[in-house]
Amino acid sequence: MTKRIAETILLYGFIGIGTTLGLAFLAAPSVSINAFESPNAQRIFYWHVPAAWAAFIAFGFLFVGSAMWFFKRSNAGWRMHVAGAEAGLATGLMTVWSGMVWGAAEWGVPWDWTDVRLNTFGLLTFLALFLVLGRQSQPDGVETRDTFSSFGLFGFVLVPVTYVATRLWQIRHPGPVIGGGEEGSLNSEMGLILLVGAISFTLFIIGHMLMSMRITSLEQRLESIQEAMDKV
Amino acid sequence: MSEVLLSLNGVSVRRGSSSVLKNLDLEVSGGQLVLLNDKNGGGKSTIIEAAAGIHPLETGEIRHHGNVILDSSGRSKQPQFAFGLTLQSDGCIGSQRVEEHILNALDVVGGRIHIDTWLERYNLTHRRHDLISHLSGGQRRKVAMLAGILPGFVGETPRLLFLDEPAAGLDEDARTALVEDLQHLRERGNCILLASHHSDFNACATHIFRDNELNVNDSNTSNVHEMVDIKTTSSQSGVVFRTGLALNQRTLSTLASNGIAGFLTLGMLLALVDSSAIDSNLIQASGLFLSAAFAAGLVGDSMVAMLHEHRALDWWKAHRQGIPNSYLHALILGAGLTALTQLGYDQDISWIIVTIGGLLTVSTMFVIRGIDLATSRLARPRAAFTRILTPILILPFALFVQWITDSNLL
Repeated sequence: MTKRIAETILLYGFIGIGTTLGLAFLAAPSVSINAFESPNAQRIFYWHVPAAWAAFIAFGFLFVGSAMWFFKRSNAGWRMHVAGAEAGLATGLMTVWSGMVWGAAEWGVPWDWTDVRLNTFGLLTFLALFLVLGRQSQPDGVETRDTFSSFGLFGFVLVPVTYVATRLWQIRHPGPVIGGGEEGSLNSEMGLILLVGAISFTLFIIGHMLMSMRITSLEQRLESIQEAMDKV
Repeated sequence: MSEVLLSLNGVSVRRGSSSVLKNLDLEVSGGQLVLLNDKNGGGKSTIIEAAAGIHPLETGEIRHHGNVILDSSGRSKQPQFAFGLTLQSDGCIGSQRVEEHILNALDVVGGRIHIDTWLERYNLTHRRHDLISHLSGGQRRKVAMLAGILPGFVGETPRLLFLDEPAAGLDEDARTALVEDLQHLRERGNCILLASHHSDFNACATHIFRDNELNVNDSNTSNVHEMVDIKTTSSQSGVVFRTGLALNQRTLSTLASNGIAGFLTLGMLLALVDSSAIDSNLIQASGLFLSAAFAAGLVGDSMVAMLHEHRALDWWKAHRQGIPNSYLHALILGAGLTALTQLGYDQDISWIIVTIGGLLTVSTMFVIRGIDLATSRLARPRAAFTRILTPILILPFALFVQWITDSNLL
């Protein structure tokens, strides 16, 4: 039963994400046509922001896992690093893809190389892609783990930079819509749908990471069995 | 009693998925030759490489001449007296000449001796100006071995010599000559750590290290030889810079790799962007002028690929005196590409932008080289998709171009 926890959480996450999409298209209030170039595209917000939120959680786990391996040589830490990188890549791509669609509709361009938040978040996703593909290209071992953990540790510096980017440089992205003072607050209906989205993506990320950690654990067991068989 | 020159205190090293060394303690004094002749996979090479400070330590510390050069917290220090090192994989760059590599090994320790005697002794005189890549495996091994032992003949200071399978692939005459040289080196007070299964070395080893135990070698038959009077002359400075320069001039690697990327970018810009766009301010001219220099830098330092050959990178890293680079060639290339771009668009050359172009190529190359070196410990560094990280430079480039435009530098 305990082995099914990951699948159950992941299932709830998917249902929640589906519900969020339904609410975003059917129940979310329309925004002012004066405030947005493309008001209908604003509904992407209910996918884009929770996905980014989930990505930050994944990158947080990536950082903690990297530190656990690097400083404590913890195998659980390495599994967390692997799971964090994979989950960060999945949610990072969701965020970047939805952002590009929204950007194309709202700004007229899908990407702007001078927007700091856009680029730092893109770099985080590239970092996750590097960690996932790079790890798969190498045999498991202390050299592989040390190298990718150090990238995980240094790369995390992009998370606070991404977080504060819109407070320091508002080039394309707007300032904070939650926790940024009165000006940025959402109305209650929008906030509720966003909350459903955030919870759903959080469940998705937790389920994804639990499954990924279990797969890595199984891979490690398989490798140790193979090594034992080599010695027979 | 001679001074202890090498100490490994509680050293543990992990390689791959296993612990190769566990809490190893080993002390070797001047005048001792410790032969490591454990069975295959017993950790001989790891002991040599750990003693040279190549591997990160899980526990313990390494001391050379009483000073810590590496400990388990990652603190690393350049040894007070440089050592001789022969790696199992030779550690030489194929594009170097025989003489160059041996003289580099001497310059690293801060003094030169006449190498003709040894080139003749090991039948390499006629090959001294050849590229190492043109040698046979045995000849290349001789070059690597000489780079490891000759530092022991420099000056009066006893040195550490780390020799991993120095006789692998050597003919009988060369092995006999090597045993004699090792005896001379030991008599000069050098401390030698040698890994080999060849029985020839039983004649000159003072100790044998096997199964984590150091025992006196009873079969040592070495006699006191007449000391050879070897004159030491001053070394040539800037060995790292010189090596980078010589390799680049010989192989034209910066031009061939970075240059091609830069010229292709320049060609595409000239084909796609009309010069009237610059005059009408439709695009940021500074970004256009610097794009080729930036693209050239994004390729990284071709020297790193050369250094991966025969683990030459580990040889240079072990000495902690720097790693050869292509920065000077990158500076010239970047400046040239920027000037060409301006000329291509019928603009007057702005020397400020040309200088910035050169520095941009260097700084971009510096970052990519850093990423490449950071992944050099991996089992397959060239398969690690490091180029995925290159977009990290695009935002700084965009902001830099914006700054140049705002500053009216053009």
